Amino acid sequence: MTPPSAQSVTLLLLLWLLPLLGAIVLWTFGPQLRRSGSIVASALVLVSFALTLVLFVGGTSPDNPLQVPLVSWTRGFNLGLELDPLSLLWTLIITGVGGLIHVYAIGYMWSDKAIARFFAYMNFFVFAMLTLVLSDNVVGLLVGWGLVGLASYFLIGFWFYKPSAVAAARKAFVINVVGDVGMMFAVFALFSATGSIAFGDIFAKAHDFSPSLLFTICLALFIAAAAKSAQVPLHTWLPDAMEGPTPVSALIHAATMVTAGVYLIARFAPLWNLSPQSQELAGIVGALTMVLGALLGIGQWDIKRILAYSTMSQIGYMVMGVGVGAYQAGVLHFFTHAFFKAQLFLGAGIIIHALHDEQDVRKMGGLRIRMPFAYWAMLLGTLAICGFPFFSGFYSKDAVVYGALEHGHPWLYLAGVLTAGVTAYYMFRMIFLVFFGPYRGEVTEVELGMPVSEHAAHAEEHVAHAPAWLMQVPVAILMLPTVAAGYLFIGGSTSPWARYFGTQFGTSENVASLPLPIPELASTWIVMAVVAAGIVIAYLRYGAQGAQTSAIDRIRAEGIAMPQALRHAFWFDDVINALFVRPAQALGLAISRFVDPHVIDAGVRDVAWLAGLFGALARGLQNGLVRAYALTLVVGAACFIVYYALIGAPR
Amino acid sequence: MADIANYVALSALVFFIGVAGVVLRRNPLIVLMSIELMLNAANLALVAFSRAWVNNAGHIFVFLVITVAAAEAAIGLAIVVAAFRKARFVDVDEVASLRG
Amino acid sequence: MIAFYALAIVLIASAIFTVTQKSPVYSVVGLLVNFIALATFYFRLNAEFLGVIQILVYSGAILMLFVFVIALLTSGIGPFTEGPNKLPRIALPAFLTMLVGFGFLAFGILHTPLLPAAMPAHVATSTLGDAGAATVFGSVGDFGVALFTTQLLPFEVTAFILMVAVVGVVVIAGDAPPQKTKGHHEPVGRRRRGARREPILKARK
Repeated sequence: MTPPSAQSVTLLLLLWLLPLLGAIVLWTFGPQLRRSGSIVASALVLVSFALTLVLFVGGTSPDNPLQVPLVSWTRGFNLGLELDPLSLLWTLIITGVGGLIHVYAIGYMWSDKAIARFFAYMNFFVFAMLTLVLSDNVVGLLVGWGLVGLASYFLIGFWFYKPSAVAAARKAFVINVVGDVGMMFAVFALFSATGSIAFGDIFAKAHDFSPSLLFTICLALFIAAAAKSAQVPLHTWLPDAMEGPTPVSALIHAATMVTAGVYLIARFAPLWNLSPQSQELAGIVGALTMVLGALLGIGQWDIKRILAYSTMSQIGYMVMGVGVGAYQAGVLHFFTHAFFKAQLFLGAGIIIHALHDEQDVRKMGGLRIRMPFAYWAMLLGTLAICGFPFFSGFYSKDAVVYGALEHGHPWLYLAGVLTAGVTAYYMFRMIFLVFFGPYRGEVTEVELGMPVSEHAAHAEEHVAHAPAWLMQVPVAILMLPTVAAGYLFIGGSTSPWARYFGTQFGTSENVASLPLPIPELASTWIVMAVVAAGIVIAYLRYGAQGAQTSAIDRIRAEGIAMPQALRHAFWFDDVINALFVRPAQALGLAISRFVDPHVIDAGVRDVAWLAGLFGALARGLQNGLVRAYALTLVVGAACFIVYYALIGAPR
Repeated sequence: MADIANYVALSALVFFIGVAGVVLRRNPLIVLMSIELMLNAANLALVAFSRAWVNNAGHIFVFLVITVAAAEAAIGLAIVVAAFRKARFVDVDEVASLRG
Repeated sequence: MIAFYALAIVLIASAIFTVTQKSPVYSVVGLLVNFIALATFYFRLNAEFLGVIQILVYSGAILMLFVFVIALLTSGIGPFTEGPNKLPRIALPAFLTMLVGFGFLAFGILHTPLLPAAMPAHVATSTLGDAGAATVFGSVGDFGVALFTTQLLPFEVTAFILMVAVVGVVVIAGDAPPQKTKGHHEPVGRRRRGARREPILKARK
């Protein structure tokens, strides 16, 4: 392994630490900097992106990663950074898409008083995510893992005066902690099994693990990934996380943090390749999430929630992909998804901002004419996510589902194909409801079948507005990769994508050992057909001429006819509430009602009472009466007599 | 002479009677007399042992004790006189200014 | 042996009598009987000189001292007027303690060898014999020789103690020194009207 040049080492350290510097500066000087702090923060992230590009040009391969040891303690505890193709890809996305979202957020959060605190948190998040992906050891990864969860908590609950935001942040954090437990268990198990925390050492010794140990570790890792990446049943926090500002949703809950689980599985590819049962599990759970997310997306009325469930579904695709061993496909889907999901969220943000915080699609409509830029942005993103031919998602989604078939999982393949159709349906439902037909902002809630709400868009206030280009330029820039990112995969195993990764993920055994029932080209046509069917159904229900004129009645009817399962999100929230939240709250209440006053306070009180008792006893000895003192003398003498009578005088 | 143990036991008994007097009586004069009783009980034991060993050092010590007892009685009575010169009650419980 | 037990009974009875009488005069009489019984014990134990000293000093001098004090202690009220009992429940703990103490002491006496089995010969300082002869154990001569030769220190100490006692009595019970002029006994904390404040108080922080 060639030693890294001092220049590359410096670049890597800089790009990792600059966001931290930004966070510290903004935390410290936030009140003084205010809006200019946002520019500082965005600039730092963009500089990190530039540095990453420089390193990218320098070229890395899995056999020659850029390694930067940082701290070395005893007994194999060496922390350091490593830049190999996998982490470089993630770094590019984090700093690149992150940088664009930072710029966008300058415009979005322009009139918010706490803008400096927001950017401090955003920079901190970027630093944490970089720590996660750049570590060359499990402990550094764990540190990044935890910090990312913390950043998510900060950012979801950014508007902390909203109780719903606080509750959502808490929920996200608690569910993430479940994953953290799995992660820690895996770290401990790996360290005790190999005596080292570095990935290299662990992967080298992985062949010696017993199958049960492998499965246990993979299971623990998967629990961590499931919590962070919102897989079933740990997915309930993701829709609620939309309480955060839209840039947060774009960056953390679409492009980067929720993909940490995918990164984890991809990073531990050598381990996963050795444990087919774990791969089976990962594939099944990923597929389940994929299907569930899509089904739930059908019944949502909040534009951000539609996108949240679509995120959940797409990550299900990614997890399914890397879970079964189709690493390059899964990671490709992460790559393309980062672009088009960010695009979708940022576009939604433009709409929400323009409509003064209206998020319900029932109150939108006809925005194609009023906001053409947002329309084209959202349309491109939607076409990408549906896998429309020649858009980025087309290549990545096909790769994923076909990869599932290649690795011997026909049922997962089927699920993926059908879900693609459902995805097309609900995404185009959104497009038609938002951008076509008459504008429904003035229609009353009753006519639309909405509950007369607590949530109402506030009237246009005379607040300062950011220059429009701040929000539009990032979206425009994202349009290119939204369309084109998938082209890197053209050529399959000889594509630039495959050559970039080389042997990063090892060779997965069960490829090409089974006869493939469907050749790849046929699979592509099947997927296209299903997607087209979805779009057509959506068109008929929402986009056709007749549908648009009677939109208000249709919306009201749909609201009434919404199936209970969709209305209650398959009751996951209710079950978790009953199983875990209520007992925990009851326990807390019992402790505060009983243990606190009667045990803890009573303990302290009793100690004080005991001290008083001793004091009273001692006080009784000093009554000033000679007779009492004489009695004390006699008692002392009696003690001596007893002692000498029993023990005997000293010889 | 009778067995030495008898003398020691007798001495102990009289000693404890004196202790009872010191602790339980409230008239200071009776208390001082009880103290004399205790000292004499000790003297008895000393003389008995002196006789058992046929060694007159015990006698010398008794001499010393008698002297000390006399001095102590004198001073004790002087204190009683000084303390209760103008008192209403001649009671040991009244001199409790060391209380607290 | 009968003599021993008879004397013992007298000793104990008089002791109990002393301790339990309400009038101090009765107690003095009881104490006198106790001392005489004690002196008889000394005579039985070959300690003639000490027996005489016991009667002379103890019953003759100390008890007289007691009697005088009883007589002259208070004018107007009797010497045995007692105030309220401030420690009414002391009897039980006191008795218990003494019972325990005496019990263990008796146990110790009975189970400890008080004397060695064979008395070494060199400890004796003189020989037992008829009362009176100067070299007999317990006689005046024997006592005197010991007091002024081998045991000189107790003799000197005795002298010193007696002097201390005399001085002490005079100081404690003698007349109080004459009162100084009134100016030095200001009440604490109150300024006398018109008096200048002491500068030394001001300087102190």
